Amino acid sequence: MSLLSVRNLNKRFGGLHAVKDVSLELRQGDILGILGPNGAGKTTLYNLLTGFIEPDSGEVLLDGQSLLGLPAHKVVGLGVARTFQLCRPFVGLTVLENVMVGSLGPRVPALDLEQRAYKLLDQVGLTGKAQSLSELLSYGDQRRLEIARALATEPRVLLLDEPFAGLGSGEIAALSTLIRDLHREQGLTIMLIEHKLREFMQLVSHVVAIDFGQVIGTGAPQEIVKNPKVIEAYIGKQEVDHAA
Amino acid sequence: MQLKNIDRGGAILAVAVMAVLPLVFDSRYLMGVLTVAAIYGIWSVSWDFMSGLTGRENFGHSLFIGVGAYAAGFLNTLWGANAWWSLPAGMAAAVVFALIMGIPTLRLKGPYFALAMLSGAVIMQRLMLIFWEYTGGEEGINGIEPLIRSPLYFYWFVLGVLAFTVALLGGLARSRWGLILKAIRGDEATCQAAGLNVTYYKIASLVISAAFAGMGGALYAHYQLQVSPQLFAVVTSITIITMVYVGGMGSIYGAVGGALLLTLMTEMLRNFGEWRLMVYSVALILILFFLPRGLVAPTWNKMRQRWAGVKS
Amino acid sequence: MLEILIFGAVTSAIYAMLAVGFTLIFGVARILNLAHGSFYALGAYGAYVLTTIFKVPLLVAAPLVVIGVALFGMVVERVLIRPMRTSQLAVLMISLAVALVVEQALFLVFGSEYRNVPSFSDQKYVIGGVDVAGQRLLTLLVAVVSIGCLYLFIQKTRLGSAILAISQDPEAAQYMGIPSDRIFGVVMALSAGLAALAGIMAGPFLSVQPSMHLLPIVKAFAIVVVGGLGSIPGSIVAALMLGYAETLVAYGISTSWTEIVSVAATLLMLVLRPAGFFGKRAAF
Repeated sequence: MSLLSVRNLNKRFGGLHAVKDVSLELRQGDILGILGPNGAGKTTLYNLLTGFIEPDSGEVLLDGQSLLGLPAHKVVGLGVARTFQLCRPFVGLTVLENVMVGSLGPRVPALDLEQRAYKLLDQVGLTGKAQSLSELLSYGDQRRLEIARALATEPRVLLLDEPFAGLGSGEIAALSTLIRDLHREQGLTIMLIEHKLREFMQLVSHVVAIDFGQVIGTGAPQEIVKNPKVIEAYIGKQEVDHAA
Repeated sequence: MQLKNIDRGGAILAVAVMAVLPLVFDSRYLMGVLTVAAIYGIWSVSWDFMSGLTGRENFGHSLFIGVGAYAAGFLNTLWGANAWWSLPAGMAAAVVFALIMGIPTLRLKGPYFALAMLSGAVIMQRLMLIFWEYTGGEEGINGIEPLIRSPLYFYWFVLGVLAFTVALLGGLARSRWGLILKAIRGDEATCQAAGLNVTYYKIASLVISAAFAGMGGALYAHYQLQVSPQLFAVVTSITIITMVYVGGMGSIYGAVGGALLLTLMTEMLRNFGEWRLMVYSVALILILFFLPRGLVAPTWNKMRQRWAGVKS
Repeated sequence: MLEILIFGAVTSAIYAMLAVGFTLIFGVARILNLAHGSFYALGAYGAYVLTTIFKVPLLVAAPLVVIGVALFGMVVERVLIRPMRTSQLAVLMISLAVALVVEQALFLVFGSEYRNVPSFSDQKYVIGGVDVAGQRLLTLLVAVVSIGCLYLFIQKTRLGSAILAISQDPEAAQYMGIPSDRIFGVVMALSAGLAALAGIMAGPFLSVQPSMHLLPIVKAFAIVVVGGLGSIPGSIVAALMLGYAETLVAYGISTSWTEIVSVAATLLMLVLRPAGFFGKRAAF
């Protein structure tokens, strides 16, 4: 059944039509991949879904409830959590405190913040770094922190924005395993934007391909790679790994 | 010994020493200086709670101080109300202005928020002068009654209010509130992404900060027994910010140390009369360059860790 | 009516000189320099000292003071502001501290009485039935010429192009090999010199006392916010708006309300249109 429903979403920035008539369905328990070259409008899409920007027209429904017009923190309160493309740790706070802040949202029952934070850190494998200052972590660890923080809000849907960006191959494999584990153990519904095709294709069950703000194809990973429009959008880009 | 117990012991000791000091030296003069220092302490702590934790430096704190003081002045002289009404009145007046100024300006980036608040204080100062028929103009309002006739008891009362302020705001700073405010300092957008209503917390912390500043202003009015537009001056705001810098941004208790140090220092420089403000300003520059983390809080931190047997 | 036109123009001219320098240093170095008003004050006091105490003729004193204040500005930028550039708030605080130090120094040396700065011209002209002091007209002229020269300098010279480049994209400019740091010094000097010139010209008819720096800086900030941070044409237009608004208020209501006009304008502008009319940099 459809958990997140996006219908005919539109957003213009001045002359630029960043998101053009985008529709997609995210089914409960799925991992949906958003594929598209740089500048295709993927992060804008996330911003629209999570209440950071308001769309010009269209509809976003979470389990039948409209998310339009809600400020970002309310969207999180309804169960949609996201990570950012560029890691944004809370400067000046420790790793543990970062996750604790995530646990202060409305969906989390009031209980021992620290304990819960430690559990989450355990899940992402950051227990040893709990007392470190978050801005001093390695990039790979910061990504894990982002995910832990998002998980702390007790989300029903997790939107990941290029989680593998800037990571080495070892870190990518580890993070990929983490995402798969989270999905399997918690039945978390996940949406994933990513460039790195190999890991992407192995993780997702469905793909929505976007270019120039428009949906150019949907389907299972094996079908999408054969889609001529997708290939055209990606000519010459398959070799280029998204090096940060 | 646990760190928490060291802190508590230190706080009790500090309050006790401050309470007893004027008796030991049997000096009315010292008592006066300490009273002013304590009031500056209340102002500085209230500033630190909002600006020190969130990093959104407010250059117009004097607005809340002046409003609280004038509210006390009006209430006591024009309306003949009992002096004790001044405290809640000062708080209320400051809260109103915090909402008026805060709601539109808190979404501005750092320096612009700072300057917008500064502008607010400057406007208020100007208004007090323009409507001199109602506010007494340059001379302000005179003939305010003292809150407590005995200077000693008044001093102890102010000390009590200061201790209460530090305890309350310090407690909030160590709680979820403090965590959220510090997270806001880290990254506001991410804070929203964590499900927190950032706007609410910013405004709420400004309101709390203003309330205590206004109360301090009311206390000041009942100490000086007069209020003037000088209270709104930039110098007042900058002095408070300097005190917090000396104390250590975001520490809450450090601001008290900063207030004490600077007030005592200026009193000692009284012989240099007109050089005081100059020394202040130079001190600020030096602190910004060499002691950006402040003096009081880092020092106390080192001491308490040594006593607790923890390697820092 | 003609009175308002003329006096409004003179007021606007002074504000324009202050605002242009202020917006220039912001546009190039992203510095909100609260010591800018001090350059204005030092200009006036400098002219006073050289002419009254050292008996230097005004025509010689003026350029000396302008150069002197310009150098002072460079030193302040190099020694005090540049190390703090990582934090806009720290820069704000340091520049404010400098302004206070200067104010106190002026107070200690000269006391708080108003000082007399000599005029270039003591003549009174009559334009359309209105008495105008020659000094005011001269101020207007100097403002137009100096701002015009500055504008030409930026548009036509290599150094000017470097300045434009840095203000548009500081990183790219560095990749081009433009020595940003050195140019900040130059821009600060220009900005300070222009402010000092305003002080010298306006000194004769505006109040000269140690705290004279505060209101001009508030107004310059107001103008720059209204006109758009970093935009010179914006500052000029906004300076005209503010100058005339103040003059109208002064004639229509009373002179004490004039500062409220600028400060209230700043507040409103920050709240309603943080990017100003012409600016690209928003305040949030």
